[in-house]
Parts: sequence; C-alpha cells; structure tokens
Amino acid sequence: MDSKKKYWKGLEEVQKTPEFIEKNKNEFAEPLPIEELLEGTGINAPTPRRDFLKAMGFGIGAVSLAACNVAPVVKSVPYLIKPEEVTPGIPNYYTSSYKGGSILVKTREGRPIKVEGNPNCLVNQGGLNAQAQASVLDLYDISKLKGPLYKGVEYSWEDLDQQAKDDLAKVQASGKTIAIISSTVNSPSTKSVIADFASKYPATKHVMVDPISYSGIIKANEASFGKAVLPQYHFEKANVIVSFAADFLGSWISPVQFTKQYVSTRNMASLKEKKMSRHIHFEAGMSLTGSKADSRIATKLSEEGPALVALYNELTGSSIGNNPTIESKAVASAIKLVAKELLNAKGAALVVSGSNDIATQTIVNAINSYLGSYGTTIDLDNPSHQFAGSDADFDALLADMKSGKVGAVLFLNSNPAYNHPKAKEFVDALKKVTFTASFADRVDETATLCQIVAPNSNYLESWGDENAIDGYYTIVQPTINPIYNTRQAEVSLLTWSDQPIKDYYAYVRANWEKTVLTVAGKKWDDVLQAGFIALPTKAASSYNFAGNVNDAASSVLSLSKSLNKDIQLHIYQSVAVGSGDQGNNPYLQETPDPVSKVTWDNYVAINPKYANTLGISQFDVVTVKNNNYAIDLPVLYQPGQAHGTISVALGYGRTNAGKVGDMVGQNAYPFLTFANGAYQYVNTITLAKTGGYEELAQTQTHHSLEGRNIVRETTFAEYKKDPAHGSGHHGKKHENVDLWGKYDQPGQNWVMAIDLNACTGCGACIVACSTENNVPVVGKDEVRRRREMHWIRIDRYYTFNEEGKEITEEEELKHIDGKFENVSVIHQPMMCQHCDHAPCETVCPVLATVHSNEGLNHMAYNRCVGTRYCANNCPYKVRRFNWFNYWNDSRFDNYLNNEFTQLVLNPDVTTRFRGVMEKCSMCIQRIQAGKLQAKLEKRVMKDGDVKVACQQTCPANAIIFGDANDPNSEVSKALTNERTFYVLEELNVLPGVGYMTKVTNTGLQEA
Amino acid sequence: MRNFSSDFRKLVKSITLLMAFIAGTASFSFAQAAQADSTQAGSSTSAAIGDPKAGDALFQANCASCHKLNQRLVGPPLMGVTEKRSNEWLHKWISNSPAFIATGEKDAVAIYNEYNQAGMPPFPQFSDADIDNILAYIKTEGDKLAAAAKQPAAGGSATTDGGVGATEDGGISDFMLVGLVAVVIIAFLVILVLNRVIGTLERLLIKKDIILPDEEGSEPRDKFATVKKLARNKKFVFFLVSMITITMGSFGWMDLWNTGVQQGYQPVQPIKFSHELHAGTNQIQCQYCHSGAWKSKNATIPSLNICMNCHKYVQATEKYGGKISPEIQKIYSALDYDSQTQKYGDQPKPIEWVRIHNLPDLAYFNHSQHVKVAGIECQKCHGPIETMKEVYQYSPLTMKWCINCHKETQVNYKGNAYYDNLVAYHDKIKKGEKVTAAVLGGIECGKCHY
Repeated sequence: MDSKKKYWKGLEEVQKTPEFIEKNKNEFAEPLPIEELLEGTGINAPTPRRDFLKAMGFGIGAVSLAACNVAPVVKSVPYLIKPEEVTPGIPNYYTSSYKGGSILVKTREGRPIKVEGNPNCLVNQGGLNAQAQASVLDLYDISKLKGPLYKGVEYSWEDLDQQAKDDLAKVQASGKTIAIISSTVNSPSTKSVIADFASKYPATKHVMVDPISYSGIIKANEASFGKAVLPQYHFEKANVIVSFAADFLGSWISPVQFTKQYVSTRNMASLKEKKMSRHIHFEAGMSLTGSKADSRIATKLSEEGPALVALYNELTGSSIGNNPTIESKAVASAIKLVAKELLNAKGAALVVSGSNDIATQTIVNAINSYLGSYGTTIDLDNPSHQFAGSDADFDALLADMKSGKVGAVLFLNSNPAYNHPKAKEFVDALKKVTFTASFADRVDETATLCQIVAPNSNYLESWGDENAIDGYYTIVQPTINPIYNTRQAEVSLLTWSDQPIKDYYAYVRANWEKTVLTVAGKKWDDVLQAGFIALPTKAASSYNFAGNVNDAASSVLSLSKSLNKDIQLHIYQSVAVGSGDQGNNPYLQETPDPVSKVTWDNYVAINPKYANTLGISQFDVVTVKNNNYAIDLPVLYQPGQAHGTISVALGYGRTNAGKVGDMVGQNAYPFLTFANGAYQYVNTITLAKTGGYEELAQTQTHHSLEGRNIVRETTFAEYKKDPAHGSGHHGKKHENVDLWGKYDQPGQNWVMAIDLNACTGCGACIVACSTENNVPVVGKDEVRRRREMHWIRIDRYYTFNEEGKEITEEEELKHIDGKFENVSVIHQPMMCQHCDHAPCETVCPVLATVHSNEGLNHMAYNRCVGTRYCANNCPYKVRRFNWFNYWNDSRFDNYLNNEFTQLVLNPDVTTRFRGVMEKCSMCIQRIQAGKLQAKLEKRVMKDGDVKVACQQTCPANAIIFGDANDPNSEVSKALTNERTFYVLEELNVLPGVGYMTKVTNTGLQEA
Repeated sequence: MRNFSSDFRKLVKSITLLMAFIAGTASFSFAQAAQADSTQAGSSTSAAIGDPKAGDALFQANCASCHKLNQRLVGPPLMGVTEKRSNEWLHKWISNSPAFIATGEKDAVAIYNEYNQAGMPPFPQFSDADIDNILAYIKTEGDKLAAAAKQPAAGGSATTDGGVGATEDGGISDFMLVGLVAVVIIAFLVILVLNRVIGTLERLLIKKDIILPDEEGSEPRDKFATVKKLARNKKFVFFLVSMITITMGSFGWMDLWNTGVQQGYQPVQPIKFSHELHAGTNQIQCQYCHSGAWKSKNATIPSLNICMNCHKYVQATEKYGGKISPEIQKIYSALDYDSQTQKYGDQPKPIEWVRIHNLPDLAYFNHSQHVKVAGIECQKCHGPIETMKEVYQYSPLTMKWCINCHKETQVNYKGNAYYDNLVAYHDKIKKGEKVTAAVLGGIECGKCHY
C-alpha cells in the first residue's frame, strides 16, 4: 500500500479507550437480552428443564394445530372500471416538482411509493437529496390533520369557509391589514392566487420569510449592483473556489445543483483530462463541504470577517478597514496564499460566503467583481427564485402586529412560532390579531395558536407549479387523491376570496396557457409529460461593483469584534433534517449526519482539545446559554472544529411536529440575532456542565475495520504523474490461489464502481435505499445499540494534516499534540460488496446466502435461521440483523405501525421478519424487472437499463452500476480506470464493488 | 326390542321421501304441460305485405346486434313498431336515418335524442322489398310475443312483461306446497300411531316376563383369552406397535409436508362465473379478460368494464324466462347499472372475489415472464380451466413444483434476442443438451425471493 497515513473513524479509535476495545471485540454490541426478558415474567432462575419441556410440548401442539388450518380466505378485489393506464403490478411514473426541481413520482396501483429525479431537470439533473427522497413518507404521515379545525374543533369545509369569509370581511371593514405570512413562494399560480385574494381584500399584505434566510445576499446584490436577486452560481466554471462557511454541497441554497456542478470538474472524466478545480474552505464547524475541500482552514467566527476583508485588501492592494489583524497565523497565511491562487484564476474564480450578513456579502460581491466572476461563475441575469424571504419585511410586520395594525394573519407553509428567532415576541403579538388561520398540514407550533387550521394537501396530492430559476418552470402534478380530508391552500384562498374559478387544476392550466405556454409555444400536455418548460436563458453579463466597501468593512469588523467574547456559537442547518420542516420524517431523523454520524439529535460540537481546556468531555450534557435563552444539549467531540467555537444544528426541538419529531433535540432558532437588517446565524454563549450524561446515537464507530487501510487517496500532482498513484497498484498483479472455483457468469455480471473523489457523503443514497428496499427505521435507542438497518452506509475517515509530520504508526496517534483542527476527511459508501468468493456464503449453515450466476450474493430471508455467522465472517461488516419486527412492533412505533404509512412500502420487496439477516441486494427487484423488460421487448440488455436506487439519486454521480461482462458499459470502463482499487483486496474475496482513489488538489501549497 | 321401533322409523322416513318425490315430479310434469299449451297458442297471425322468413334472415344479419323485439338494447324494442309508425316513416328511417333526422321530422328527432344521440347507421343496401320483409318479420314475431304475453295474463296473474315462466311457476309451487304439507302431516300421524302400538307391545312383553335369550353370554371368555394370549406374546406386541407407529408416522410425515398446501382449494365465489362456459364453450381467449398476464406480474382479475364489453348485451334472458340472469344482474348491481335506461349510477360496490392461488408474500412470481416470454400455456399451471365450472387450485404451488418445472422446461429462446449472448455461450459447452431455466440460474434463491 502506498498510503502510510493513519485513518480513523472516531476519537475512541485514536485514543483506544478501553470501552471501545471491549465493544469491538464482539460483532454485536450487546448479548441477547434473554435474561432481561425472563425477569420480566417473574422467573429469576435460569430456564429450568421442565419449562423447556413444557415449551417444547406447547410448540409441537401449536405447530400441529397450525398445520390443520384451512386456506385463509384472501379477498381479491379488482377495479370496477380500471383506468386505462393502470395495470396492477406495473408502476406508473408521473412528472412533478419538489422545491423547484423536476421529479418523477413512481406510483403502484395509484399510490406514490418513490420519488426519483427527472434526468432532464435543468436544476438537479436527475439527482435528489435525502429530503426529497424522504418526502414521499410525509404524504402518509399519520400525525397530519385529518380535516379542518376551527378553534380546535373539527369543522366541515363549508362551515369553515363561511366562518373565514365572515371574519375576513370584518377585518377588511375595520381597515386593518390582512397579512399572509409564507416561506418563499416562487409558484406563478400561487402568486396569482394571492394577487386575486388581494384584489378582493385590498388590505392584504404578503410577507415572505424563510427559516434559513438568504436575504443578506439579496440585499447585498441590491446595494452592489442594483439587482435585488439571489444569483445563480456556476461552480462548474470555477477553477478556484473559495468558500467562507458556505455549505454549498450540503445545505446552502441549492445543494444538489451545486454538487452536480462541483463534481463535474473533479470526477473521472475531468481527471482523465488532467483537470481539477481547487477548493479552499474557511469555516468554524466541520461541514459536509468543508470535509470535501482540498484545503480546509478552521476559522473562528470572529475571524471570518477580518479574513474576508484581508482577502479583499490582498487582492486589490487597498487597505479597507485599516488592514485588520488576524489572530490565527494559519488563517492569515492561508489568506495570502488564497489571494495568489484567485488572482491566477481570474475569470474562473468564485468566492462564496454562507453568512446572511449584508455587509459580509457586499465584500464578497466586491471580491467577485474584482475577480471578474460576474458573467462567468456568477449569473445575475438568470437569477434563482429559490429563496426570496425578507427578514426586514417580517420585522416590520411584527412591529405592526404589536401596535395592533394587523387584523388577520394567514400562515402559508410558514411556522414562525417555531422557526423564527423572535418566536416569543411573535407569539405575544399574535394575540392582538383578531383572525388567524394556518394552512399547515398538521397542528404545528403556529397552528396551535390559530383559530382556523385549513390543512393543506401534500405536494403529491396537489396541482401547482414552481419557478426555481428564472425561465425554468416546473409543474406539480397530483399522483393520488388527498388521503385525508385536506384541501390545497390555494383553493382555500380562492374560496375565501369568492373567485370564479375554484378548481385549482383549471386555475393552474389557465394561468399557464395565458403565460408560459404562449411564450414557449408549447401545449399543456407537453408540460405534463416533460414536467417542465425552460425558456431560453439570457446571456449573463458582467457587473461592476458599485457598493460601498469601506462601510461594509467597518460593519463586518464591528460585528466580528462583538463575537470575540465568551464562546462563539455557530448555528447551522443539518444536512438531513434541514430547517426542521420535515422534522416528523423518521427517514431523515435516522440519516446520520455526514460528518459526525449522529442520528436523532442535535448536539454541541466542540473541538476535543478545546473541550479539555473547558473541562468538558464527550456526551456530557451542557447548558448553552446567553442572556435570552438557554438549552441543554449533549457534547460531541468534533475534530476540525475551530477552537473557541461550538456548533449547534437548527431544525430540532420541535414540540408540535408529530410523534416522531417531537422532543428530538433542542431548538436553536432563538439563538439567532437580528442585526444590520438581517438574521445572523452566529452568537456568543457560555457553556456550563449540568452533570448529566447522554450518549448520542452515533453510527460513527460501529462496524470497525480493525485498523486496516481501506480508503486510498493521492494528490492531484501525484495523479498527474501517475494516475495509479495511491491505488495500491504497482503495475504487477499478485498470483492468487483460490480455494474455490470460478463461477460461470454466462449472462450479466453485475458490479459497481464508486468514485471516492465524487462522493460528498451527503446521505441521499441512504434514504433512497431505505425507500426502495423497505429498510425499517429503528429509532434512537436501537441505533445506540448499533442496530441500525441501513443497507448502505457512508464511512467517514479522518486523517491528520499536521504539516511536516507523517503519521505512520498506530502508536504515534496517541501522542498527537496538535489542536485537532487540521484534519481532513474521506467519505466512503459501503454496502454489500457481492464478493465472488464471499466469506459469508461458506459459513451459512442453511444455505440462506448463496451466489448467483450474475455475480450477486443472494439472501433468502425465509431460509435464514439467524445464526449471524455470516455477519461475523463478513470483512466489510455490511450485514444487518433484524432484532425485531420493526415494521410491526408497538415498541418501535416510529412510523410503520399503521395502515396509512404502510402504503409507502415497495410491494416488490419483502418486509423482513424478526431474526433474519439482510443486506444490500443491489436492488435485485430492479435487475429482474430490467431483464424482464428486455425479454418482453425481445432485445439484448442495454447499459443503463437497470439503475440501482443509490446510483439514481446520487447528486454527485459517484456510483456507477452495470454489467461487467459488457466491455462497453460505463461500469466496465470505470473499473479499468487506473485509480480503481478494491477494499481489502488482499483478502482475495473478489468483491464486486470497485472504488476509485480520492484525489486532493493541494494546489499552490505543494509548490 | 328397540330394533323394532328404529327399523320402523327408517321405513317411515323412506316412505315420506318417496311420497314427496312423487308429488314433486307430478306437479312438475303438470307445469310442463301447461307451458306447452301456452307456447302453442297464437301461431296464427295475419300475413303482412312482405315475407317474414326473408325478413328473419335480414333482421338477424343486420339488426339483431342492436335491436330486440321485446327489450331495449342499444336501440329501442321493435315490437309493435309497425302499428306505432307509418310504413313510409319506417322506410325513410331504416334506409337513411341521419338524413331523416336532418329533415327535422319531430318523431325522428325525438327518438334520436331519447337514445343519447347515438344514431342508427344508414342501410342503403336495403331495397324497399327488403325493408318490407324485415317489417313483416317484426310484425309476425311481435304478434307472437304479444299473444304469448296475453294468454297467461288471462289466468289472473298481474305480471306483464315477458313473465310467462314466472306466473306458471307461482301456481305450481303453491300446489306442491299444499301437497307436501299434507303428506308430511299424514306421515307424522302414522308414525305417532305406530309408536303407541310399539309401546303397548313392549309393555305386554314385560308383563308376561318373557326374557329374550342372551346370545352373547358364553362367548367373551374365549374371546378375551385369545386377546390376552396375543398380548402376552411380546414379539406380536412389538410388531403391532411398530406397525402402528410406522403407519401413523408416515401419514403424519406426508401430512406435515403438505402443511399449507392448498391444492384443490375451491372456494365459493360471489358470482357463479363459469370458466367452462366462457373459456370452454365460447372459446374466449384467457388474456381477453386476464390481460395483465401478458405484461405484468399479476394476471389480474378483470375489472367489471371488461365484463360489460359483452354483458351489456349478453343477458342470458332466454334461460331465465325473459329476465336477466341473476348472476349477470350481480355485475349490474355492482356497477349500479340500470339495464333499462342503460345508465350507470353513482353507488358502485366492488366485487370481492376469493383468491384461489395464494403464493406467500416472500415468493415473487411474474406472469408475463411465463406467459409471454416463455410462452407457457395457462393450463400448464392452472389445469383444465376450460372445463371448470368453478375454479379450483390445480397445482400444489409448492417450491418443489416450481423447481421441477424449471429443471425440466427448455428456455424459449428462439426468436428472442435477449438470449443471444446466453445461448451462444451454452451451445459451446452443452452440445445437444437442452438449456433449461435452471441452467440459466432459474433455481437460484434470489431470482424469486427478494
């Protein structure tokens, strides 16, 4: 092996704590809880012989009785009049749209069971993130409202409408404002509905506010260029990307779109042409994007501002803000280096900042303008409409509410009582409003305060449209009738304002035919089929910065200065749970955080060395406190976190989300502050130990690989010299001796190739796999017991980047005295490797897991008796054991124990029973379906006929799947790549999944 | 002594049954005679202008698909139309109804609108004589039907529309019922009397102290002796016990293997649908109704709109004395369909069939793979379906049964390009041997269990 680096998954592994060693001795973390069970029934002694015989006798009797049963009467109810397009057993796909990206909804017998990206979508190009994948489960959520409410009492829609109309008329007559508070609305039809509503009630005022606000960027663009827009970024056109805490691959603005762009300059095709972008990242907490950066510089929140100003000065040679000093030498020297690189890449450079501060974004604009980014890597002429919320507008409305000028408030996709920093003030002010109505689909934190709750339908039950990017219109099509007695919010608004058209389908269609369809010269059916219409884009022109840098600099520096006290709090959006809107979604709650691998909780992320100085250790419960607000959270050691800072995720601590999401973690929104015209996602706090201890449900250290090097990486410079560098290949192959003969693979040989350089670790594949394969959610306690069921996991390995030091020996890790700030990360998706000489197959006593002639490792659940030998013998630790019937056991009431949510299950995949092993099947149901389709059409299988769920959703296209027997298939080509290596190749189990080395572009540093 | 009474009771029972049977057949034959009478009536009718025989042929060839004489089908019932409309009117309508409607004639437009503006096609091929022939046929046949309807009406029953059989049935069943009741009462009285006689005789016997000789008295000593002797023979006991164990065991073992195997399962279905009639007699292709078998994993039970393709017209009225067959009526009521107005209501109720072939959820089976790709006949698994009045599970549907077939059946690769790669490979190594599904991996676990 070329690499002498030491990789580790968690600090326990580095420090070799006794608990860790003890736990890792055993395959399963805990022994069987037999004793526990018996104690429950009152028998304390070990099972006596007589009881055993009794049980035997009963068993035999029961079995013989069961054998006497007659055929169960199963009813088979056909359609009365079958819709022409539906054939039971064959899925139908419909185009729709999720958050502005075109999607395909897979339905079976009329019920949506999976969401997939539309490969033609201009925004997401077929990729989907975890939230979109999980959204299909929201449709069947039983915590949603089953019908409209008036003052907490169930009402009919007719009575509710009459009540609302009367109340609205009264407010209108009183001359007070009718406010519609919504998150960003970019749907042309919804906008038109609101305009119609406003024409009936002229006192209407529409205020948009987003929990995750980008109004800083919009305001800064207005100040700098006179265009109040959110620009479109083009990471694919940038050779040097510098990010100041913008988590653009994980959660910032449009992460799937940016991942597609970002990866296009770092993937196989790009590397083949010896081209790779360089990415430098300054941030306090360890984000997904930071973990992918070529150089990541841990930067305190208070230093981000000065660093940005220094970068401007370094680039332009000016001295705004009186050349601020940067405490950290690492940051200061990095800024100098970065300036050089950016200047070299002028015209193909991009600087982004995750801050919502107007002044900060103004300086970023000035830098980008100086670098000539406008018109190349930033497009202001075809702006994004994904976020248009205005923090200042909401603040003004809040003042009006307090002074009693507002008579009615309607909430549309908006939950300020939970996710607004001034929630408390807002709740008080809401009491002064005479008429309140919410269109929330459940009685959420805001809806509990409203008189009327008129539940909105899920997007899979609705008509609608979206306009995520200028000129790109997507259609929202219903794929099922409303499951509960819900109604689209737009219909409610149309009804309450007595509009002539109340059928929203007719409304949307008329609106499209009037506007977009006429311009594009297309027909309605074209849109339904394609899912979107793209009008020709305007040419992106360059812009000259016309803002005031000096004022911005002083504002930034004073804000930074105010942060330089106590402990700096970085408040961020977690990749899976996001803003908390989908807080009641168990798939998202159980998706591990890409970096910390924590599920079902938020936590205080802190640098372990810094924690030592504070006397805090891992899993201590601490109080995070400032003058206004305090929460108790467990501590997590996060390598890479800047000293003097902690990070806490938003989106947790909901109280009215539903039975899954309630009381998971703590709400961090109240820590946000309103300063300089926008919300700031930073603050200062103090920490105090409460004396409590709470173990987080982490998947991090599970399934240890015993110190064997399984990830391989190289640098771009080395790669250019030798593409095979780092992959462990030295030109000559070993002579291998096999105990087993080779399998015949007369037809296909299904294999997979994974590009570690592309994979960002976002976790979309985990959710996609779970929805496709009915993988159960097990809950927090079970994850703590290391019983998560995910068929695919993303292993995350840390390495140290201490300059001048190469850590070669395990022992040396212990003596690392660095600050634990400078670590780098590799993400490695890991699933069943479908070894040709699989160790699991040889130890199964009942032949439940056997090899197929298509290179797959089959798992017959009904043959499995649960010895778990296979899991013990698997070198990759990818087999999962069903400890319980998670889908039908009241103790695991996470989501599936009701007749509604079970509708989401994929009918082509068995739900596994307690006591059997399961693992990745390479979506064998899709393989079989693909083969059958080819047989029915009497043709040879084509490459791409079968796409596995993880591959299909991957925003980075990191997973390639196909037939290795076809030399022209994508995957065959990928596996002949020089970078390809197999994990634990030395075991000669002949895995079917090949990986490609990660390449880091260390850029100027090496020069 | 008891023997007397029980024997006697048996006798009485059989006599009662016999009498009931005789009464039944007698009344039935009486009913038939009555029916025969009614059909003979009304055969003499006044001759029309045309030839009803030639008209019959023309009617069956051109009109019968949409018209019946006494019932509304696609078009109106034609009985009595010759009286209702003038000859000239009818000629115009039949030769070219769209043109006639276009003239705006009141009656023509009215009838066009009444039948949902579903126009009758023009028949330019008919000469005036042809039309006369058809009208003559309609008149003669119509008169026959009218007469048939009138005859029984005179008998006093109130039913009108084609209720010939129904009225007759009503009269006879009353008669039968009275007869039966009388027979039963008489039989009961006889039994009562005879019972009393037996009682008296028994009492007499006891009074006179006549004790019947006990025949079994001396026997048991010998009998038990042999049994005891055999019981003492250990070899015999061992033999007996082991035989019993083996027999019971092997039966038990066989039974255990058949746990959950429902071969022969034949549940009662909500509609007495006969595959014998549809697939056997009428030769309807299986996939006409089970269209999913070609393209999906489910063969699919046909939805009711497929039934209605035929049963909108096929109502089997001839078998039920002019009434719609009660089984076909079930389709109509499920769809909330009114056969008179031909309109669908808004309260349909789906039909809940009882599933016969229950594969466990853990086994994946795809019909299209077997039916379309492999070209297997339905009968191979479902048995002689075209002779089944009620469908039963013909095959055991066990895994052994699946695997045996996969081991024996040659893959249908001819003309299917999908198999090109595979066949080339196998031809090399298996010259002359047949390529079965098993050879291609058709008995691997993961092909059906996932």
